[in-house]
Amino acid sequence: MLSITNLHAGYGKVEVLQGISLEVPKGQVVTLIGSNGAGKTTTMRAISGMIAPRQGKVMLGDIDITGRESHRIARLGLAHSPEGRRVFATMTVHDNLLLGAFPRFTGARAKGDIAADLERAMEVFPRLKERRLQLAGTLSGGEQQMLAMARAMMMNPEVVLLDEPSMGLAPILVDEVFRIISRLRSEGVTMLLVEQFAAAALNVSDYGYVLENGRIAVHGPAEKLKNDPAVRAAYLGGGH
Amino acid sequence: MMKSRPLLLAAVGLVLLGLFPVLVGNPYYIHLVETISIYAILLFGLDIVVGYTGQVSLGHAGLFGIGAYAAGVVITHFPDTPFVLVPVVAIAVTALFGAVLALPALRVTGPYLAMVTLAFGTIIQILINEMDFLTNGPMGITLTKPAILGHQLDVREFFWVVAFLLVAAMLVVHRILRSHLGRAFEALRGSPVASDCMGVSVYRYKVYAFVVSAGLAGLAGSLYSYSEEYISPNTYNFELTVLFLLAIIMGGRKTRSGALLGAAIIVMLPKLLDDIVLFRYVAVIFAALVLVGAAVFTAKGRSTWQRAAVPVVGSVGLAAVSFRLSNIGDWRLAIFGLITLLVVYYLQDGIVGFVRQTLGWRGHGSSDANDAATLPAPAAAVSTSVAVAATPATQDLVAADKVLMQFGGLKALNDVDLHVSRGTIHGLIGPNGSGKSTMMNVLTGIYVPTEGTITFKGQSIVGRTSSRIALAGIARTFQNVQLFGEMTALQNVLVGLHHTYRSNLLDVALHLPRYRREDRAATARAYALLKFVGLESLAGEEARNLPYGKQRLLEIARALALNPELLLLDEPAAGLTAPDIKELVVIVRKIREHGITLILIEHHMDVVMSVCDVVTVLDFGQKIAEGTPAAVQANPQVIKAYLGGELEAPAAH
Repeated sequence: MLSITNLHAGYGKVEVLQGISLEVPKGQVVTLIGSNGAGKTTTMRAISGMIAPRQGKVMLGDIDITGRESHRIARLGLAHSPEGRRVFATMTVHDNLLLGAFPRFTGARAKGDIAADLERAMEVFPRLKERRLQLAGTLSGGEQQMLAMARAMMMNPEVVLLDEPSMGLAPILVDEVFRIISRLRSEGVTMLLVEQFAAAALNVSDYGYVLENGRIAVHGPAEKLKNDPAVRAAYLGGGH
Repeated sequence: MMKSRPLLLAAVGLVLLGLFPVLVGNPYYIHLVETISIYAILLFGLDIVVGYTGQVSLGHAGLFGIGAYAAGVVITHFPDTPFVLVPVVAIAVTALFGAVLALPALRVTGPYLAMVTLAFGTIIQILINEMDFLTNGPMGITLTKPAILGHQLDVREFFWVVAFLLVAAMLVVHRILRSHLGRAFEALRGSPVASDCMGVSVYRYKVYAFVVSAGLAGLAGSLYSYSEEYISPNTYNFELTVLFLLAIIMGGRKTRSGALLGAAIIVMLPKLLDDIVLFRYVAVIFAALVLVGAAVFTAKGRSTWQRAAVPVVGSVGLAAVSFRLSNIGDWRLAIFGLITLLVVYYLQDGIVGFVRQTLGWRGHGSSDANDAATLPAPAAAVSTSVAVAATPATQDLVAADKVLMQFGGLKALNDVDLHVSRGTIHGLIGPNGSGKSTMMNVLTGIYVPTEGTITFKGQSIVGRTSSRIALAGIARTFQNVQLFGEMTALQNVLVGLHHTYRSNLLDVALHLPRYRREDRAATARAYALLKFVGLESLAGEEARNLPYGKQRLLEIARALALNPELLLLDEPAAGLTAPDIKELVVIVRKIREHGITLILIEHHMDVVMSVCDVVTVLDFGQKIAEGTPAAVQANPQVIKAYLGGELEAPAAH
């Protein structure tokens, strides 16, 4: 569904990504692992058009989206839930979710049943239902994260990019985030995931790529990576 | 070697400036360059406010007018005043008004500040117009070029006076902006909250920036009155103030060359648009430049034809139209507007910023990095001289009792006691929204608690400002990283070291030994702190370009620069991967070994369990448990509210 070939990107003079290639097949969850500064967030940003790739190719299905503006890429069906939960703070939870469905109102994407999807989002994220009319800025960190994920889903996207969904969340909520990801996976949502809890991320993924200094060092089925001693030692917290 | 090119350029520039009136005898051109110089002096000052502190000012034409009239009034009412005193009086009077203009900037920002400063400018213009007895009203004041020690200056000599003051102003402004004062201004723009928490009072430095800026406007104004030999109220109008702002934006903010270029543009462009033949030449050259630029950019793949189309069509169109116009006077403003539109839209960093980017020149950051090599790294990174003996070891470093923090009907903290013993690492955990960050904000003076007492080293800190609390020895990091994004890693740490400077404006402007000594010491220490957190190789990198995990480490280094006795870390491990977290734990332990007490908010239970001596658990603004990590971890209430049943799954893998 999402395929990246020889992607180079960076900021200023720094080239963070030095030619990475990866595939996110339809209906699968793929996770990106790597230390800080390896280029995980940069990869996400280059895919969704928040920064322009310097070289390489990004394909969404059959469409070349390399270097397109992010709003156009979004309308083609790529939803990006960015690091640090950027919710619309002065709007209600309900309106945040409807904004997520914006491309469906403008006809850029198939309309479908928006009301039903709204109900479904509330069901997957019950906390949001309780807070439906509350301003997003007044939600706790965990609830904002739920909202960012739910909002990304409201587009009815082809692919979802989830950047650090569990960041800054209490352990009890981290569990819930992973339960939700695993539920979305069972419903056939295509996802590219970046997570600080790499081991837990591999548990809910089909495939994984390990980024090292802007290059793919290792990749393979999630199950295999999880048992790879080198990966365990370097990224999964020692493996005890 | 690296420095020889700019020095050479500067020398050539100086010689050209000095020889200009000799080479070009025409008084018209001398006056033109003189006006550019005078505007440039004002723009150096405006750039401090706009470029560095990030405030908008539409009041600078008013300040310019005050400077001009201060000179005019002194000269008419006290004709015997020696020339050297006149600009001094103008600077002093205008600086005072600058302080007044700063007052609204302390309360409002953005468009509101623009409105307020605009009103200020309007009031000044009206006051000048109406105060006949002082200003001679709409008739204006006529004066002559000054005399120095009885020698009447001619046009050429006065030009040299202006040129000298331009160079002096540029040097002084440049030095101020490169010093701790400049960093304080820039920090305000990056993050006001973090500035305060680094002991850099937002209040004080905003006023300071406006005062320095107004002083330069005053100097420029006084020179302008001599230069024109006639001043009248309607010069200092809205159009002029907009032109000043445009000059900064078009030239490029945060550069002296941008201010010079901007001044040249706003002086030359209107003249240029008076002469149709000259304008045709310029329009053709401009179009050719844009065309070549667009072709190069497209060829290099840095732009596409679609993107380049508008400026190319626009500039070529402008050149074509210029040959069809017979009388340019009527079109002046429209053409001026069009050019402005193109520049502001396509060159958001101004012309200087664009050129630098294209040629791959770096800003101030790289030069700092060059200085690095020559500096010896001191042995001790973190001061070990923390006054442990100041209070008995048994006493709590921080004692917060019955703290209530109410927002409307919501009690974010409800009757919370928190006692932190010296030398310990005190964990603070709890579900999202339980009041942990509120506690941090109460301890650092960002919020004043509704009720309750908080003492630090036995003294109450309730109601003290954040910057005073910071200077008293409480440093912090932020949950949502609050770095000064446009500043380099090194400069960020140097802002934290602001408190080590005693130098005043004079020390900085003249680079007196005190300033040089302090600056050397601070820079060395900043490098040592960067090394302490493992960021020394990234010293010259802009903070916003660092990866998230490194930004968190940089915040710790910056906080340590305050030389704190208590360090508050708000979710330092958020977003870090397993290996980075191990590094963080090592750093946290090292900090404690240096005698610094820590309060740690963290969701990564493995971190909390491995480093904390005591853990306090909050839920819905209330303390639900406190004790050793093991005891807290086993507490059923904590498991239910916070840890969850599947503790072993993701959190403690």
